Amino acid sequence: MIKQSIIENVLEAALSTGGDFSEVFIEDKYVNTMELQSGKIEKSISGRDFGIGIRIFSGLQCIYTYTTDFSEAGLINAAKRAALAIKGGANGTIHPLQKEIIQPIHTITQMPRTVEHARKVAVMRKANDIAKNYDERIKQVALRYIDEEQNVLIANSEGKFVEDTRVYSRLSIQATASDGIEMQTGFYGPGAHAGFEFIENLDLNHYAGESARIAVTMLEADECPSGKFPVIIDNEFGGVIFHEACGHGLEATSVAKNNSVFANRIGEKVAPDIVTYIDDGTLPNEWGSLNVDDEGEKTRKNILIEDGILKGYLIDKFNARRMDAEATGSSRRQSYRFNPTSRMTNTYIAPGESTPEEIIASTEHGIYAKYMGGGSVNPATGDYNFSVAEAYLVKNGKIDRAVRGATLIGNGAKTLQLVDMVGDNLAHGAGMCGSISGSLPVNVGQPMIRVSEITVGGTKGE
Amino acid sequence: MTINEFQKKLLAEAVEMGFEEAEVYYKKSESFRVMIFKGEIDSYETSEEGGLGFRGLYNGKMGYAYTEKIEEASIAFLIDSAKANADVLDEDDGTDIFEGSETYTKHDFYSEELAQVPTLKKIELIKSIEEKIFAYDPRIVTLNYCMLQDFSEERVMANNKGLSLNEKQNGLIIYISAVVKDGEEMKTGSFSKMTRDFNELDPDAIAKEVAEEALSNLGEQSIPTRKYPIIMRHDASASLLAAFTPIFSAENTQKGQSLLKGKVGEKIAAETFTLLDDPSHPDAIAGSNFDGEGVATQKRAIVSNGTLETLLHNRKTAKKDGVKTTGHARKPSYKSTLTIAPLNMYIAPGNKSKEELIASMEEGVFITSLAGLHSGASTVSGDFSIAATGFHIKGGKIASAVKQMTIAGNFFDFLKDIEEVGSDLKFMPGGYGSPSLVVKELSVTVD
Repeated sequence: MIKQSIIENVLEAALSTGGDFSEVFIEDKYVNTMELQSGKIEKSISGRDFGIGIRIFSGLQCIYTYTTDFSEAGLINAAKRAALAIKGGANGTIHPLQKEIIQPIHTITQMPRTVEHARKVAVMRKANDIAKNYDERIKQVALRYIDEEQNVLIANSEGKFVEDTRVYSRLSIQATASDGIEMQTGFYGPGAHAGFEFIENLDLNHYAGESARIAVTMLEADECPSGKFPVIIDNEFGGVIFHEACGHGLEATSVAKNNSVFANRIGEKVAPDIVTYIDDGTLPNEWGSLNVDDEGEKTRKNILIEDGILKGYLIDKFNARRMDAEATGSSRRQSYRFNPTSRMTNTYIAPGESTPEEIIASTEHGIYAKYMGGGSVNPATGDYNFSVAEAYLVKNGKIDRAVRGATLIGNGAKTLQLVDMVGDNLAHGAGMCGSISGSLPVNVGQPMIRVSEITVGGTKGE
Repeated sequence: MTINEFQKKLLAEAVEMGFEEAEVYYKKSESFRVMIFKGEIDSYETSEEGGLGFRGLYNGKMGYAYTEKIEEASIAFLIDSAKANADVLDEDDGTDIFEGSETYTKHDFYSEELAQVPTLKKIELIKSIEEKIFAYDPRIVTLNYCMLQDFSEERVMANNKGLSLNEKQNGLIIYISAVVKDGEEMKTGSFSKMTRDFNELDPDAIAKEVAEEALSNLGEQSIPTRKYPIIMRHDASASLLAAFTPIFSAENTQKGQSLLKGKVGEKIAAETFTLLDDPSHPDAIAGSNFDGEGVATQKRAIVSNGTLETLLHNRKTAKKDGVKTTGHARKPSYKSTLTIAPLNMYIAPGNKSKEELIASMEEGVFITSLAGLHSGASTVSGDFSIAATGFHIKGGKIASAVKQMTIAGNFFDFLKDIEEVGSDLKFMPGGYGSPSLVVKELSVTVD
């Protein structure tokens, strides 16, 4: 994308004031987005993002600069200006760049840029028809298709030189149901680190059908009661609760500065024996997967919690310095505009032994969260909140009426201790995770689990 | 190739390649950001960037494309992509490119004085704030954010129908979050401020505000789960308003995605509620003299004393509803197509101070911040069920902080249930403003 000799000069200019590490991240990304509403393709936009991020370390200080000026003079100037933030010292050492050839784990068979719009639109129309025809109360279907081809080149003063291509495809379906007075929505957004083959092979009857079914079900639902209940959270996107409640607290971004309840607790029991929590960026073609992270490190399977014992954190190169630990292939950024830091990839609770039937049958009075919405966490305290997209009451071991407006709140570290059943039906769901280095594709996953008590906020009262 | 040459060539070539109308939108910006951790610079970031969005009418349909790579070869990429994107659209919806308004207000969104503040002075300011926060109280254990950021940007819009507009904007943002600990209890408190006046930033006052905000959350108590009368502090109200702004968009009413469809001229809120959008409000930082289509912006009442005066329109939705555009076309970036959004939307203030509102409440909950609005609030149904931080009010006084809670209700009911509006109007960095509001009741669930 940019000549190696220019990259070498930029890495050197970045170390001209005494920095001890420099890195160049070049990004050339093609994006296509299309939207279908009211049965019509209403929006279609294509674009190309192109820019360069330069990072310099000097001990525990991190300097980052980015630019869209790709001329050699522009890049050298940007590196020199950034280097001015470091107060003098001997020039850092540059090791000769050694090109690494990576073996891609994620096969892409149809590059989205080579697929004409008409084929993408055909899938959208089919999904639209399935959702629209699901029930006469479905009044609106909104579909959003996105594909991205992100080409990156990462080089650093330690001699690293890696190129990678990441391809993302996603179809989001939102159905709105109305009975003339009220309106409710249902959503499903499957995505993968894959090409158009992923979109073409999607089971649209399932995804579009489910989005419509959720909307109609919520239209008929009662208000959710408030109080403390055992809560059963179903598999797949249900894993978002542990993404927020524990995952963020295991990122070096908060651990390195002791801003996490999990800091300095490696080897301690933080969860019941039945809980094993893993972040794995190598799962083939999953939405959160990568060949190499945004520092050029190979992604890996990181065991965070094993049989309830805290085993590890997600660590990037910079925080590794503060923590005196090794980086874990977890450094990510939305684009060249973001200083990378430790983030999740595909994070999930490993499968247990209970069947979903057993879990429901053994719950006398509680809430069953079939599909979760989004949520957020305060990483310093671990206090989290989630909305439940589709919830039911559980009575005497059976699923009862659907309820809406359920929000779960609690504290991550405490909720983790209260997991009392883990199912055997692990599945992953795609989401976008927003944090300090931008918005990133991540998978959350889990089998069905049960938490003995969570505070459920609803509108119905106790 | 300079950006001017690029634009001219692109517009000329677009017409040659069969576009009936063509427009470019270019934005370049610079930014600086520093984060402080325990007296040291933890991170230091600078940037210089630019990108160009192109749109053009091809066979009556509007095609869009953008690039950040300003080089000769990108002209063909933009033209080919925009054509393909126009082709795939289902209908020509009557959108066209705008030749310009007759007059534009000339509000200045750029402060030369702010641009001249030396980097060192900005770093000293944020360092001194951090130091003063730690000195304020030993229960302050760490700051999980202590950041100062500034930006300047220039936008240019030009088309082959004679429109040529540009505007400069700058601003400075401070964001701080403090972590406090007392025994086993840990709480945070955050602060954000956006300004164009560096001299109004008083480190002592900011340190006090951050520290007090975090410390006040200590000593939490549980209260029974039930419905309570609510006072929603200005910043919490502004964030709730921001989350529900899509209900005012004509694009959403036309697509059956907002329950305000057909409600213009009707009472949708309490008499005390007036909602304004003022692109050049002196206290607000986000603003513009023209919207995403080049239409002159102006101050407008969206809701007056409870009556919905207008929806937010761009030229396309206005045409469909048979009204005039309200200048609310929004192009958040050269990377986006047009959407609809306000610039500086705020709830008009009343007369009573926040303290007076609290003093006149026998029992209730005073909400100071909300979390999870992106997922717990549905703009389609109006339902919300979201996490909140706040205090128990008893006998006209703050009795204690309340444990983590959720508040739930419906925004359309909320608007009708506003009983009093405070005098403490403040704007959030995102361009939404509100005073504190007294609301009849919401369901409160306490952890």
